[in-house]
Amino acid sequence: MEIVIAIVQALLVLLLAPLISGMSRKIRAKMHTRQGPPLLQDYYDIGKLFKRQDVHTSDSSLIHRIMPPLYMGCMLVLAAGMPMVTRLCPVPLIGDMILIIYLLALPRFFFSLASVDSGASYSGIGGARELVLGVLVEPAMMLSLFVVALATGTTNVGDMGAAIASGNVTVIVAIVIAGIAFLCSVYVELGKLPFDLAEAEQELMEGPLSEYSGPSLGMLKMSMSMKQIIMVSWLCAVFIPWGSAATIAALPLLLGLVFWLVKIFVIFFIVSIVENLVARVRFKLAGHQTWAFVGIAAVALVFCLIGL
Amino acid sequence: MNLLLISAVFSIVGAVLAICTYKAANVAKFFGCIFGILAACAAIGAGIVGITGAQSMSVATPFAFASFSLRIAPLSGLLLIVINVLALMAWIYGLSYFDEYKKRGVGAIGMFMNFFIISMNMVLTVDNAFWFLVFFELMSLTSYFLVITEQNKQSVHGGFLYLVMAHVGFLMIMIAFLIMAATTGSFEFEVFRNTEFSPAIASIVFLLGFAGFGCKAGMFPFHSWLPQAHPAAPSNVSSLMSGGMIKIGVFGMILVGLDLLGSCDCQLWWGLTILTIGAISSVLGVAYALDEHDIKKLLAYHSVENIGIILLGVGIGFIGVAIDQPVLAGLGMMAGLFHLVNHAMFKGLLFLGAGSVLYSTGTRNMNILGGLTKVMPVTSVCFLIGSLAISAIPPLNGFVSEWFTYQSLFTAAMDNGPLIIVFCAIAAVALAITGALAVTCFVKAYGVTFLGAPRSEGARKAREVPGSMLVSMIVLAVVCVCLGVGAPWITPYIEGIATSVTQGAPIVVAGAVESVNPALGSAISTPLLACLLIVCILLPLAFRAAFRSGGMARDRDPWACGYLPTADMPVIATTFGSDVKMFLSPLYTARDAIVSTSAGFSAAFQKTVRGTDKAQSWGDRFLVDPIAALVSLTSRAVARIEGGNHRVYILYIVGALVIFLILAVLL
Repeated sequence: MEIVIAIVQALLVLLLAPLISGMSRKIRAKMHTRQGPPLLQDYYDIGKLFKRQDVHTSDSSLIHRIMPPLYMGCMLVLAAGMPMVTRLCPVPLIGDMILIIYLLALPRFFFSLASVDSGASYSGIGGARELVLGVLVEPAMMLSLFVVALATGTTNVGDMGAAIASGNVTVIVAIVIAGIAFLCSVYVELGKLPFDLAEAEQELMEGPLSEYSGPSLGMLKMSMSMKQIIMVSWLCAVFIPWGSAATIAALPLLLGLVFWLVKIFVIFFIVSIVENLVARVRFKLAGHQTWAFVGIAAVALVFCLIGL
Repeated sequence: MNLLLISAVFSIVGAVLAICTYKAANVAKFFGCIFGILAACAAIGAGIVGITGAQSMSVATPFAFASFSLRIAPLSGLLLIVINVLALMAWIYGLSYFDEYKKRGVGAIGMFMNFFIISMNMVLTVDNAFWFLVFFELMSLTSYFLVITEQNKQSVHGGFLYLVMAHVGFLMIMIAFLIMAATTGSFEFEVFRNTEFSPAIASIVFLLGFAGFGCKAGMFPFHSWLPQAHPAAPSNVSSLMSGGMIKIGVFGMILVGLDLLGSCDCQLWWGLTILTIGAISSVLGVAYALDEHDIKKLLAYHSVENIGIILLGVGIGFIGVAIDQPVLAGLGMMAGLFHLVNHAMFKGLLFLGAGSVLYSTGTRNMNILGGLTKVMPVTSVCFLIGSLAISAIPPLNGFVSEWFTYQSLFTAAMDNGPLIIVFCAIAAVALAITGALAVTCFVKAYGVTFLGAPRSEGARKAREVPGSMLVSMIVLAVVCVCLGVGAPWITPYIEGIATSVTQGAPIVVAGAVESVNPALGSAISTPLLACLLIVCILLPLAFRAAFRSGGMARDRDPWACGYLPTADMPVIATTFGSDVKMFLSPLYTARDAIVSTSAGFSAAFQKTVRGTDKAQSWGDRFLVDPIAALVSLTSRAVARIEGGNHRVYILYIVGALVIFLILAVLL
């Protein structure tokens, strides 16, 4: 049964990905008082991209060609292992927090490698930025999850969520602060403004994406949208676990699905609003914010130590 | 035990034949490599036997105080296997690679390398303080001669720095052993093991041993010789030094802290010290690596990082022993030892890969390479696997051992006081930063060297390296994959060795297909993950191939705002370095501040230490330089009685040791 849930989750994330990106386009248009594209525009776009030619730069090697499927494959694996509809991980053996953090590094590694491989200067700069952003975000992410692991006694994200939902945690303040720090790092990972640094439309012409076209570009756009859903689901699974199916039965699963959809749509709605209210942070100054997130996580650790 | 002696005989025969036939370079190379291969195989056999149970033997020698006793415990068995697998690959690699050195004394390389390996094997197995020091010194000297093979300014400078650091370490280790010998009246490790030293003496011995072996391991702040000495040696020797020899430093710390002082109480602050130094080493090692554009220097700095990660695990092992939590101790030690094995394999692989690049392009400067993946496909794939493994990308081996390291940090933080929690939290954050920086560094190393367009004539004309070099790289790459994907079946053996070191009951670290942390119940499955990844990547790949109705277009030039793209447009190694430096500048200021020192004090200081230029760290400035100055002063003074012949030097050192030991026994 869990295996079916895992496969369904992976497919669900795959199919919802263009809807999420379409939704944020629509909200942006509305805030600009424009009509905007239809909600399903991204489905049409990707459908059309698959009919186009696949062009690569002449100096690029296999890495550039294999990266989009690899990126998508990693996202499918992550989607299968992350608790979304259910409270616990559908496949517990790939639901460890450290595994998830490092599994996110795999597509990042190839994403940046492909950008260097393309031989284009904009791509390369974007790729380097993507990595630097990873360096800046990972400490806050690790420290906030460290606090949760201390409080719940486990490193499995499903078990963490279950412990928080059942109210067995004594250090509530610490968990809340850790949640804020984690939320901030998830937001950076979403690649939205003000942290839209690697793809930086206006500055780097979509950076690593600029040398992709046709089916590869379509696949990449979908995968990046999938990554956003997975990051938000991760946040929900650990810090907002209420509503997900604690048992494997028809009714709780259905309820869990509804709750999950509501949670991610609400969060993406807020994210889209925030994204359009802020300006891009200068790349050089991104470190200031991310070290502040590490500071928040450190405060959570202090609260955890004094038992609040 | 017999296998070890057979291996020693092979090595000696190989060394003698190689130096005797030095005029015929091909013959010397052949003898050196073939006997080296035989010796390595025999020593691997001895290691495998050693893992199953401790064996020992003892032979009386002319020195009444130092009988020649050997003991292969599980830990030394593991290191024997690790070092000799690397040695085997280095010899096979050398069959072709040493062609480069035909006019530069391949016979001498064959001799020194054989003696180098035999002395490492002996250091691991010898069970007597006197002989330990003799072989430790032999190991340093033979590797010194390998470092200065090139005879250019860089290698002589790096070699001298290495020699000084090796002897700083040697001195501290000798004092530690002499203190123990003075207390017990014996040089036998067996006697040390069974003696209960007073806490003060035990702590002094531990600190001296930790710092002394730390010099050999290349941990912060004794790391400055690694990026100077390792790149200068022939690449397969670098792989042996960086993958193998520095592990003897870790072995020595465990030997002193948990084995020789096994009857004393392990103190909590020992473990915390190791943990702190480990965390600092890991972050600084990788941060400095990012700033390098010499591929072998970059790899050498990564050894500092990985020694740091190993020390995190070992530190938790010490903490577990100190606070009497055998499961924690076993878990931490296992994480450290597994990372030790893994680092040896992927660092060996990467140095061999860098050697191949050097062999076919003639440069180590990544900024003028690029595009090698098209002309050197096998080297490129092997180097990619090594890069993924060292960046701890799942499901490869580096990830599994870092997972265990994280798990041991988390386990230590649970149910323990705030002191340990804070140390563990800082260590976990340091490890997270290290992991992300390592990814950055290896995207840079691999991407700039192998991908994109070639940026120089050398890179354009490169050819794939000969078969024997490929074989050794492929074997190590396969080992890296197997250690990662097959972790659930391999970790129980490492766990057996770890618990034998920490003297705890066996713990369960693996299920049917998963790696398990027994204390928290967390589990991951690398075989399952590998299968899932393959399926999930093949599906979109097949989908794209099937539905690509637009077809493949002819490849185009990259977009460059309408201009013709030129070779200097793409990113190069320094691009990545400068980005990271911008955000982590405090890490570099410590180093830069020392390089460009302010006037006043430092000007006066520099007059006295002009002998060694380019101080790189606090350790250098305050520890190495004064000693280096002293060494050069004394050496000038005794220059008259020195013939310049290295054999005489060896004689002096052995002689001095004997006098010291006799003094220690008499007094």
